[in-house]
Amino acid sequence: MAKKIPPLRAQDKLVFLLALVPYLMDRDRVSVAETALHFGVPEQNIRDAVRLIAVSGIPGDTATYQAGDLFDIAWDDFEDNDQIVLTHLVAIDDTPRFSAREASALIAGLQYLSSLPEHADREAIATLTSKLSRGASAQPTAVAVESSALDETLALIRESVAAGTQIEFDYRNSRGESERRRIDPLRVESVDADWYVRGWCHSREDVRTFRLDRISKPAMTTEAITHTAGDVNLPETLFDTSAEDIEVTVEVARSAIGLLGDYVPEDAVLVPAGDRVRTVVRVPHFHGLKRLIAGLPGVVTVVAPDEARRAVAGWAQAGSDLYAEQR
Amino acid sequence: MPTPKVPNEERLFSLVLALLSTENGLTKSEILSTVQGYRQRFVHSGDNANLERQFERDKDDIRELGVPLETIEPPEQAGNNQNLRYRIPRVDYELPEDIKFSAEESTLLGLAAMVWREGSLSEGSRRAMVKLRSLGIETAEPVLSYAPQLRVRDASFEPLREAMDRRVLVSFEYLKPGEQSSTTRLVAPLALVQHQGRWHLYAKDPKTEQFKTFLLRRIVSDIQRSKKTFDYVTDDAAAQALSGLEQVWQSNVAVLRVEPGTDAATRLGKRRGAVLQPDCMLEVNFTDVNIMADELASFGPEVVAVSPPHLRSAVIERLTRTVADHG
Repeated sequence: MAKKIPPLRAQDKLVFLLALVPYLMDRDRVSVAETALHFGVPEQNIRDAVRLIAVSGIPGDTATYQAGDLFDIAWDDFEDNDQIVLTHLVAIDDTPRFSAREASALIAGLQYLSSLPEHADREAIATLTSKLSRGASAQPTAVAVESSALDETLALIRESVAAGTQIEFDYRNSRGESERRRIDPLRVESVDADWYVRGWCHSREDVRTFRLDRISKPAMTTEAITHTAGDVNLPETLFDTSAEDIEVTVEVARSAIGLLGDYVPEDAVLVPAGDRVRTVVRVPHFHGLKRLIAGLPGVVTVVAPDEARRAVAGWAQAGSDLYAEQR
Repeated sequence: MPTPKVPNEERLFSLVLALLSTENGLTKSEILSTVQGYRQRFVHSGDNANLERQFERDKDDIRELGVPLETIEPPEQAGNNQNLRYRIPRVDYELPEDIKFSAEESTLLGLAAMVWREGSLSEGSRRAMVKLRSLGIETAEPVLSYAPQLRVRDASFEPLREAMDRRVLVSFEYLKPGEQSSTTRLVAPLALVQHQGRWHLYAKDPKTEQFKTFLLRRIVSDIQRSKKTFDYVTDDAAAQALSGLEQVWQSNVAVLRVEPGTDAATRLGKRRGAVLQPDCMLEVNFTDVNIMADELASFGPEVVAVSPPHLRSAVIERLTRTVADHG
């Protein structure tokens, strides 16, 4: 998976230096390549950091940074063999503590993932959380996420990946059609409270995204998988788009544009229309659209085409009729 | 001869090293005149106002990383700012010896760190992972590949989180459901919690001493940070907030008639605590009547809200609005 590496600020570089020293201290000798791999950074970052560490230190008794007051490395080994050997140490003995914010980010992240099969051992998670708290230099900020029960479908998906077998389940799409599908699970993704599994669908011979809460009666099969996460290139966006998608013009309150989520591409053009903005979303059919719009009453309005407006109005009218019958 | 500029990270690194290795602390003038990065710019018996401001910013930057930079006031010289001494106590700086992480724990933390993709919690997760790697733990690749994501769409989240860190009062405009205009609130922010996929602020009203929970999406103004600090003890604020929301969720039960074999039947039936009665009546808990009504409206004719009456009328109102907007 391609990761965007944001430009490093001086603070990030400092954290890296403070973390790198104890790592190097624990190893008599380690290559630049291995260190770069371990920290997940380019090799050049390691070389730059080691060069800086090697000339850094404390002012010392003379307040003039004499040789004994500085770190030192085996320079020949570093320049010739790309190997790091610390030969003199100052000031630092150990890894720094987490900041309150760092600890709270990880703790809340763990809480959010509580439905994952990896979190089955609740006691182990509680221990881990308390280690993060104790390892912080101040009380972690109170950011918390409601914990959820373990998800049985996720557990089964994980089991089938571990066993290398396909998994099958009933899946009801947004058109309301239900079908038994068989997939090679590739990746589990989530956005807030919505969870998805992306997999190679044997019924469609293509990569498809499935909402976990639309899956029922999942079961492992004995059929071996034919595709793994390594050999399929998963598109970045969750929704499968195609050239036949229909363009729909909508008007939305500016503050509510985020509620449309992935329907609005990042490069979408937003045209002001009174106190709202007008933009174009692309959908494969109107079944998902009518649900989306009916769930954002008064916030989003479909402007064109008429066919889309009729689909939304029809959907809401059919719902409204049911209440009229019962009055 | 002009001195080459010392990079910011080198100055910050040198400051941490110097303050870690002093037992009694260093005075500001000792720091500015001897520490690498400052000493090059220090003017003996001259004006160092710029350099002093640099030092103030550096202190903030370092503390933000969880480095406990402390100030000691020598008792015999109380009140004299020039004699304040600065140091970093090693025991509060270093991760306690007994805190160790296994490869499995490191994997879990790696997943938790992925959850935040933007804002200060993403930055915090990233830095925490660098510190974790400092310990040299090998991380096991999870069996199943995950890409979890918590999005914080509410613009007020970040300013509120920062106000919590600084422990200052905040004010904002809050629009209560069913009301036409917003009212100004002044509160002490204690916790940010996500419940049922929505972010809430848990806060204390300093006038009435009452605890209140606000839905972030109903905050309709910028967050104004006041200079007034608060000192409420808030150890379990997040847990209190979640248990309060859980109580509300428990006490609100909707009775729904779902059309069998539809998207509504599958998805609503999969909700936590949902109970399906033999006559296709589904009992589902909810926290907020407006949010629940939005969700039910999106299912159009697949579900009818039977009770409570205020939920029923809220759904009808939404469906009618959608029909009118698309007529």
